[in-house]
Amino acid sequence: MIGHRPEFRPIEILMVEDNPGDVRLTMEALEEGKVRNNLYTVVDGEEALAFLRRQGRYADMPRPDLILLDLNLPKKTGQEVLAEIKADPELKRIPVVILTVSEAEADIIKTYNLHANCYITKPVDLERFIEVVKSIEDFWLTVVMLPPK
Amino acid sequence: MEVTLIVAVSALVQFAAAFFALRLIRVTGGRTAWVLIAAAFCFMALRRLISLMSMWTGALPQPLDLWEETVALATSLLMLAGVIYISPLFFGIKQTAAALQESKENLEVQVAERTNELREANAHLAVELDERRRTEQLLAEYAEDLKRSNAELEQFAYVASHDLQEPLRMVASFTQLLAKRYQGKLDKNADEYIAYAVDGATRMQQLLHDLLAYSRVGTRSKPFAPVNANLVFNQARANLLSAIEESHAQVTSGPLPTVWGDDVQLVQLFQNLLANALKFRIDQPPVIQISARDGEGQWIFSVQDSGIGIAPEHQDRIFLIFQRLHHRSEYRGTGIGLALCKKIVERHGGRMWVESEASHGATFYFTLPKGDENDRTPPRI
Repeated sequence: MIGHRPEFRPIEILMVEDNPGDVRLTMEALEEGKVRNNLYTVVDGEEALAFLRRQGRYADMPRPDLILLDLNLPKKTGQEVLAEIKADPELKRIPVVILTVSEAEADIIKTYNLHANCYITKPVDLERFIEVVKSIEDFWLTVVMLPPK
Repeated sequence: MEVTLIVAVSALVQFAAAFFALRLIRVTGGRTAWVLIAAAFCFMALRRLISLMSMWTGALPQPLDLWEETVALATSLLMLAGVIYISPLFFGIKQTAAALQESKENLEVQVAERTNELREANAHLAVELDERRRTEQLLAEYAEDLKRSNAELEQFAYVASHDLQEPLRMVASFTQLLAKRYQGKLDKNADEYIAYAVDGATRMQQLLHDLLAYSRVGTRSKPFAPVNANLVFNQARANLLSAIEESHAQVTSGPLPTVWGDDVQLVQLFQNLLANALKFRIDQPPVIQISARDGEGQWIFSVQDSGIGIAPEHQDRIFLIFQRLHHRSEYRGTGIGLALCKKIVERHGGRMWVESEASHGATFYFTLPKGDENDRTPPRI
């Protein structure tokens, strides 16, 4: 079922999110899911790029299979991070899921123009939130074929 | 002897004529003409005097002819009469001229007066114009201020409700998580507390969501265009299909016109009114009728239902944001629906009102500007 992923290796997910509450909720939701995963979190855009480029204290970090990116971030905004990821030949094939509170059409159009892989607004209701995180997990980690590492 | 008398009288008459002719200078001012005529009379009189002198001295070669001198006297009399009778004529002319002169002068005075008055009126007008211009400018400034403060208020409501969503989402999510994970594991009180916290947070979320929608009517809207109200009605009805089927409601509409507005907001308007009519129903399946009629430059729409109705004393309150007539346990909702409807109608330059009696159904009316499907220029509202 999962073409390029050896069963013993857990899925690596990078979450770029400055709100610890959302990080925790996402963790809770992922824990309820069926896929074994490692969730790494960074709190701003610069950290995210450092993580992805394995700079400084992130030298030993794995390359993630999926990136969950908030738009409203300190220092570098989510859109700037997205643009840099998609301009980097090494990073651009990693799927980026935008997970944000913004329902603004302008944000949606802009991020898709920057080659975001999908755009999801955080549901306000907990059950819906858990459902959405699970569906992200289900779709990106079990349904689609991800590029080989 | 008779001839002498006639000649003497002739001479006197001719002098008199000369005198009257000279007097006419005063009246007419034609000095030269009258002097010449007077001179002519004088010479004729001198000739008579010379004839008389010659008669006395006997130097006259032959006696004067009585008939001839009589005719001469008659001629002189006629000339005198002519000179005397011509005088009033000239007086008349002189008076007319004087009157003319006077009226001309009067006229000039009057013109001067009028000119003065006009000048004053102009000055007054200029002052008034200046004042009006100042007032207009002031009004424009007030309007601008009002527009700005309105926009700011809407922006404020938008930002407040938008930014409040984020922390509230945390409160709601974690109380829900608490409820999910720890329901029944703490004591009964804890369960109750958690339930209240979850309920409060959920309602707060709904209120913020509605406030956001309300503020968006002003801040997030499309440019107006002609909108076919039949399509708007169909869309609104389609959006509510499950609620209509569930309540076995009969929702009908007469032919609806084309209006001028924002179709998304108009669908919301129709949908809110239909949803309201479905929600506040009595035991029987609701009957909802939508129609429109022409009303002085605007279309007057009506949405008539067979529901619980609204007592007259509550009819103003229902259009205020978050004002409710029923307890949450009777009818759900935050009380945004009709406030939103009114705001949408007013943003379109229309009015909204209701006619109803308690338990006799209600008819909501609203006006919308007329639109023409082939004409995208804004109508004058």
